[in-house]
Amino acid sequence: MDTRRLAHHEFPILGRAYFLGGRASTSVKQVLREAGVSEATVRRVAVACYEAEMNVVLHARSGYLALDIYPDRVVVAVIDKGPGIENLELAMTPGWSSASDEARALGFGAGMGLPNIRDQADKMEIQSGKGEGVRLFLTFNREGCESGVPAAGDSGTSS
Amino acid sequence: MTLARAVEVLKAQAVVPAADGSLEVSGCFAADLMSDVLAFGREGSLLVTGLATDQAIRTAAIMHLVAVVIIEGKTVQADLVETAREEGVPVYQTPLSKYEACGLLMQAGLRPYRKGVTPN
Repeated sequence: MDTRRLAHHEFPILGRAYFLGGRASTSVKQVLREAGVSEATVRRVAVACYEAEMNVVLHARSGYLALDIYPDRVVVAVIDKGPGIENLELAMTPGWSSASDEARALGFGAGMGLPNIRDQADKMEIQSGKGEGVRLFLTFNREGCESGVPAAGDSGTSS
Repeated sequence: MTLARAVEVLKAQAVVPAADGSLEVSGCFAADLMSDVLAFGREGSLLVTGLATDQAIRTAAIMHLVAVVIIEGKTVQADLVETAREEGVPVYQTPLSKYEACGLLMQAGLRPYRKGVTPN
């Protein structure tokens, strides 16, 4: 594993600021492109970040997204102050959602968020509990997908 | 199918027109839930949706979709237009329902994506 960190960025995320939902992920996409990360990897990271960002917007009071770029990988942490996830196993089940009507009015709450994040990332770690907020850590390998070869376990939905 | 042809089939009006109508549309995905688009959508598709918010545009930009078509003649707010311009996502508005829009596109030859099947 290459320990040389090429860049570090942090993006704040405001809970309930629906009109801002997606801005952090848009910034992530720009930063990755400027850093020369391949489009296939940019897309995987952006999709996962967008889902994670919307989770913070829809469920938490506030949070932030931290992005670290290494020569061989992109590492993302999404940390929030919110109600947390009581049952992680349930939250990882496709179709299960605790989203409000407000979330659904914005096109979220399909119950595909965390399962899709898991599919996009090469490694996912989630720490949470009731009232503890959520700490989500994601790793995206740059080699493999940089040469256009899909990562192992590819769901067929990413290009 | 070109984007211009899809727009014609849908009797759609440009809200934020594409710089190039000859852009190729390789498929279509119809959904109001953006999580479904993020999970199952394909690059190069047209998004037919009833969701007229910024999130539809951001989803399209992140997924590299060709354009967004808002159904049922819904009003498109100024902030959506601004986001679409910033993100370079063409937006159209059709008076058709989602069902009719999809039906007409398929009739005109735009094939659906099936998981694990390469579109022709």
